[in-house]
Amino acid sequence: MHLDDVLTELVADSGDRLLRVAYQLTHDRGAAQDLVQDALLRVYRSVRRRGLAPEDWYAYLRRAVINEYVRTRRLRSSTEIVTDTVPERAAAGSLEDRAADQVQLWAALGELSERQRAVLVLRYYEGLADHEIAALLGCREATVRSLARRGLAAMRPLVAAASIEEGRA
Amino acid sequence: MSAFEDEMRQAMASHDDEAPRAEDLLRSLEQASPPRRWLAGWYAPLAVAAAVVVVVAGSLGGVRLLGHQAGSAASPRPAGRAVALACPAKYAGEVPWVPAKPVGVDGRSRLVPQQTPSSALICAYPGSNLANRQTGWLLSGQRSLTGNLAGLATQLSWEARRLPSQQTFCAGVGGPQTNYLIGLTYPGGGTLWVTATDSACDSASNGEFTSASGVGSDMSRAFASGRWPARQPASCGGAVDSGRLGEEKALVPPGTTSLTICASGKARTFTSGYQAVVGALDRLPAQPTKGYCSSSPAPPDPMYQLLFSYPEGPLVSVYVAVGCHPEVGGLDLQSASASTVMPIIQQLLKGK
Repeated sequence: MHLDDVLTELVADSGDRLLRVAYQLTHDRGAAQDLVQDALLRVYRSVRRRGLAPEDWYAYLRRAVINEYVRTRRLRSSTEIVTDTVPERAAAGSLEDRAADQVQLWAALGELSERQRAVLVLRYYEGLADHEIAALLGCREATVRSLARRGLAAMRPLVAAASIEEGRA
Repeated sequence: MSAFEDEMRQAMASHDDEAPRAEDLLRSLEQASPPRRWLAGWYAPLAVAAAVVVVVAGSLGGVRLLGHQAGSAASPRPAGRAVALACPAKYAGEVPWVPAKPVGVDGRSRLVPQQTPSSALICAYPGSNLANRQTGWLLSGQRSLTGNLAGLATQLSWEARRLPSQQTFCAGVGGPQTNYLIGLTYPGGGTLWVTATDSACDSASNGEFTSASGVGSDMSRAFASGRWPARQPASCGGAVDSGRLGEEKALVPPGTTSLTICASGKARTFTSGYQAVVGALDRLPAQPTKGYCSSSPAPPDPMYQLLFSYPEGPLVSVYVAVGCHPEVGGLDLQSASASTVMPIIQQLLKGK
């Protein structure tokens, strides 16, 4: 069985970008591929049913990937890091100085809740503005800011703990 | 932007190379491609737009990529490359059907390699064995197994091979049936699909090796729970997971750890002192099994079912029935007379 040529071209055009975003979200190659594939198939069914053709194909698929990620992860896991306090600014000379290890940052990102991670990936990896992220996630801009703030706050102790642990070893 | 945020941006970008590539996605979509009719109507405007995008962007690899993938599926995969499998959108052939033959692992000598897979994905395709169409059943769900992959490997790798002359006795009924695929990936990049159904009448297969018995009940349980089920101990009177590689060479392949003797629904298990039974069975002049024994006019008496357990993998089941013809039989071998074996079994039972 061969794919329709059009689908092949679309994947060739947007597949790598979508897979990279999915990998940022899942930190797992197989899960990233599943995510993009599921999103593609969902879009097929949706567009066929509604007869809509998106103007920006990549943005449309990216939205499907993000929504699929948030939806499925929420079903699979209730793990969410909750922070009681949300510092507006990092303590001077603490985290910015110690968080140079990108491995720890990557690992800490993987510990966040799905919505926090989605917001941070869209903001810092995809470079979207908060109002664009809000439109994509279907929430208010203030919610995006809150999720980002809480996500960053949650990462700091994780990165710090890893640094301390590494220092002991 | 703070230094922390800048570091995070760089951390994200540094992992770009680890993401799967579009060619991996194409390979999966090739297997899970939706029916062509989905693409017929609504897709035409997109086709034009996409073609423009592709030409403008200079991305010329699409169709070639597909061709490349089709070619590479049959060639050995580079060692060490992580591979992700995806469930096909439909069960596209008659049972036993798999979407691809084993790649990068041996699928000819065993149903699965004696190696714990890196991942296992189960795909379910419900249908009816009474339906006119026995192909094209649609994917209803998929599940990644998260537990006991080692148990999966040990059980499936010891499944007996189905021999060309082998007859199948099963208690299948007409009605709903679910076909399963399980996609396995291995360290080093190998991949292998196994298919099975929840019917007792269907064998499991990887496309190159077909087993003598089905593993559909285990597939069903794994699909429901997300982990491969633990091996069940030998028991009498119920379904027995038997049929072990090596039964084509010996009534009782070497390596047994215990013997359970079933008679009239009662079980006695021996973990020692039963080797004389094994020896007597293996000394019998044996021939390829041609079918279950037949008795007339009276039922066989006495009649025993012997269940031999092993450290891992399926049991070996051998019946010993005086007055039945042939009197001793296993999955692949049978022998006409139980005269030398029966006294040893009865001695063992008396001594307990």
